[in-house]
This record gives sequence, C-alpha cells and structure tokens, in this order.
Amino acid sequence: MVTVAFKDLALSNAAQRGMPHERICFTPHPVWGKTDEEMYAYLEGNDPVSGKPLMKEVIGALTNPLTAEESKTGEVSVSTGPKTFADTEDNLQQYYIDNGMTDFMQIVLPTEERVEAMLKGTSHKPDEVVGKMAPARGSYPEWSYTVKQVAINAVMAGAKPEYFPTILAMAASGVTALSSSTNSFAVAAIINGPIRDKLNMNYGIGAMGPFAQPNAAIGRAWTILSRNLSNSGIPGQTYLGTLGNGVNYNNLILPENEQASPWAPFHVQKGFAATENVVSLFVGFSIAQGQGGIGLGVKPVPQYHQAIAYNCTPFGPLFGALVVMDPLVAQGLVELGFKTKEQLADWLQKNQTISAKDARSTLFANRWVPDPNTPDDARIPYYQKPDWYNFVVVGGQTNPYHMVGNLSYRVSVSIDQWA
Amino acid sequence: MNRRKMLSLLGVSPAMLAGARLEAQKSKKTGKTASAGTGKIVALNPKGNPPPIQLVPMAKRLDTLDGKTIYLVSDGFPGAGHFLNQVALWFKKNMPSVTTIYRLKAGQFADDDPKLNAEIKANGNAVIMAIGH
Repeated sequence: MVTVAFKDLALSNAAQRGMPHERICFTPHPVWGKTDEEMYAYLEGNDPVSGKPLMKEVIGALTNPLTAEESKTGEVSVSTGPKTFADTEDNLQQYYIDNGMTDFMQIVLPTEERVEAMLKGTSHKPDEVVGKMAPARGSYPEWSYTVKQVAINAVMAGAKPEYFPTILAMAASGVTALSSSTNSFAVAAIINGPIRDKLNMNYGIGAMGPFAQPNAAIGRAWTILSRNLSNSGIPGQTYLGTLGNGVNYNNLILPENEQASPWAPFHVQKGFAATENVVSLFVGFSIAQGQGGIGLGVKPVPQYHQAIAYNCTPFGPLFGALVVMDPLVAQGLVELGFKTKEQLADWLQKNQTISAKDARSTLFANRWVPDPNTPDDARIPYYQKPDWYNFVVVGGQTNPYHMVGNLSYRVSVSIDQWA
Repeated sequence: MNRRKMLSLLGVSPAMLAGARLEAQKSKKTGKTASAGTGKIVALNPKGNPPPIQLVPMAKRLDTLDGKTIYLVSDGFPGAGHFLNQVALWFKKNMPSVTTIYRLKAGQFADDDPKLNAEIKANGNAVIMAIGH
C-alpha cells in the first residue's frame, strides 16, 4: 500500500527491480498527521488511482491468481537511446532540456571534438569504468559510467579539461547531487590541495557565489552528471523533494582557504598529505547564515563556539553539522582556546544538547531518547560523536561570518588518482 | 504517468523490447525530433549505463484470506505504523477470521530485513507493506 504521492516512484522502482506488474494499492496522501478516523476513512474509500474500493483492491491483490506476465522470468535490457543526436544547435539545445538531460539551462553541446579535448584532462582511458551511482543508494538500481561518459557531462557543464580530474573524482564517489529524498537535500564538496590555486578556484571573497569559473563549472557538472549517469532528478520517480533546493544548480563548492586558516586543512584531518589534491563530499539539508547566533556581540572576541551551537539547534540527528566559516572566525576561535578543529568539535558535542522532553516532541524521539525511563530534564547530545561536527574555512575576511549546514560527511576521494 | 508509459520508459514493455528508442521521442515543448542522422551538429548522448532488469516472478496468491495470518509491515516512514493499525482494525471488523501481526522493518527505509523476512515465511501467509507518509 503506497500513498498516492509516491505512485510514479513505486511503479518505476518496482519495474526496475524486476516486478513491473507488482500489485500496488494506493491510499490518499498523506497519512502523516491524520487522525485514526481519517485514516480509517481512507480504507473505506476508493483507491485514488483505480477509483475502486481500496480494501477490495487489497484483498484482490492478495488472492487473485497470477497472470502470465506476473510470473515471467528472464532479463530485460534497458535502452538509454542512441549514442548521438544530430540537429541544428537550437533544436539540440531544446532537445537536451526537454528530455531532462540538463539543469534546464542551456549547455555546451557535447560534440565529439569537445569531448576528445576534455579527455585530454586525464590519463585514464575513455572506456574505463569510473563508478556507480543511484538517486539513493540501496533504493534504486545503480547505473555505471565510463570516463568518456563523465567527460560528455563535464563538457555540458562548461568545464575545462583541467577541471576534469576533480569532476572524475566526484563521479567516482558515487554520491549523487540530486538525492531522491522528499527532503530536498543539498550536497557540498570541500576541495583541498594545490589544485585550488592551479585551477584558480575562488576561496576568498564570495567563494560560494557565482564568481569563478572552476567553482561554478565543477559544481554544475556534479548536478548534470548525477542526472544523466545515475537517473537521478526525475520529479516523481527519482526525485521527491517537496520544495526543491536552489543549491542543486551547482551545489556548495568549498575550496578551503588553507592559506588563511589557523587549522589543519580538512583533507589532512582525513589522513591525506597536505600536498595531495582531494575532494570531500557531504550530503544533507541545506545551509543557513549564522548572524543571529547567541554570543556574537560579546567583546572583545565574540563567542563563536556558542553561536555555532545555537545556530545548529534546528538540526535533527539524521545528518551532522558542517560549519563553513570565514578565516576571521577561525582565528577568533583560536583566541578563545580552540587550537584545533577537533577541540571545537569536542566542545560542541558536549555542549550542544536538547532536553529529553523537547527531543520527545520531535520526529526523532526514538533516535534521541530510546530509553523511556530517561527523565524529561535530562540533556541529550545532538550527536553521539564529535566527528559529526565538521569545519571548513572559506572566505575573504570582509566580515567574521559563519554558516551552518545540516550535512553529513560521506567520503574523500583523491583528485590526483584521476589526473 | 500511467503504468504502461512508465514501463515503456523502463524497457520492460513489448515496445521497448522491440527496440523503441530515445531518438523517437519528440521534444515535449517544440514537437521537434532530434534523431541520429545528418543534422548540422552531432552531439553525444550523456546517459550512463543502467543495469539489465532481472524479472522476478511474483509469489503465488492465496485462494482465500479466511483463517490466514497477514503481516502488516511498516518501512518506518512517519504515520505508516498508525495507518497499519487502522488496517488491522479494518480486518478485525470486516474479516475477523484474519489474524494480523504488525512489524516495523529494521534499518533504514530501503534496507532489507532478513530476520523479519524469515519470520514472515515461517509464520505468515501474506504481507501488506506500507510505504509513504
């Protein structure tokens, strides 16, 4: 039984998993927030898809003999179309848009010549398999893709060949930029190492904004390749985000301002050498500014750690915290005694807490307060481990600002391996 | 989108098995067709490689639900448990010979739960799974 909002998802997913005729009965949507009486009325009413009495449909699904189609076995190949499309430039631009192969903005048309040029950005062979990706791992079949297929998408996003190893590393991670969740997720990529300067990435003023070609094109490529290489981002089938997320256009691309940071770069925290080029990926909810944080008005050094803890209070426990901070904030935190990122994470893990009473009123009652004997006034840490807090230093030092994202670390991938 | 159209896009309809392809799709807004051939510009298909679909035969159905045990399984989405409680109530009122047993599937929404599957195989006759919120 599936609520009708997920009809396309249920039908397409059942087919992709080998049961194209799975007997699915639909209820009105939603069930969340409805009273018992309202839900019982759903059962006494009609299936909104078939128009027939719902429970009669359910009983029939369990008792009607199987048809020949429902008993079929074997393997069915899935086509994604011809290898090339040929038409005028205007027609092709519209064709790519209308068939969901872009971010609904015009692209650089991926001609063979342009793709060949992109392939010069890596030593890897065009037919080498890069990885697998799905709109949500475990929920959909994973698609695979080659170096050349990633190159086609990199061209479409407006990338230069020198950006290609970074884009390949992101593709190799298997992390989609367009997660299927109803929550309208965002993704982030921290980029570390000398490649930031080699590519002229912007990690200063306006680093997260539309002010540098490598930041923009690499971020856009992540979205476009996720759409085309993993079947992510089909509304109703593989994308269910109810509000959508503007960040998905080119994602949170965060080349760390290593030169101005008082702390170890993020990739060094993850065990890489400082000289290595690495992209580290995050998934979760979006990011918000932190101006309203408690303690920011304290002189002479604002209590940045308290402000960060305060600004993270709307977070749930499903995803961690990614704090993006200007170098001025990082330097202020050092003055406050946080000599490393790990010390700040330890402090936040101990001090960002929620009362058991409040935790029980959230969606995450079972996760936060599994023991029913926990008293209401007990303080529950938002996260059980300090490493659920991550920090990246970005920005141009025009204001001691930070932003907080309810985003979890997924994986770090060597860019050098894809050069 | 209806099931026939959905399945045709996924390659499981007779039309797709016969070789219907993306190049035959007309642009939704312009009505124009981009086809492999002799246009002014030739551009490459950016799609990845979907795995083949292994068809799974569905489980044999019951002759009747009378006296049978039906597991009501929630995948954990908010509201699914409450909804299945109402399904259990419906059976109690309308088909009292049916026994219902509620279970919350372990793990994340899409995770398999082998322990629960084994329990259902051993003790149940049918499953109704609730997905949605």
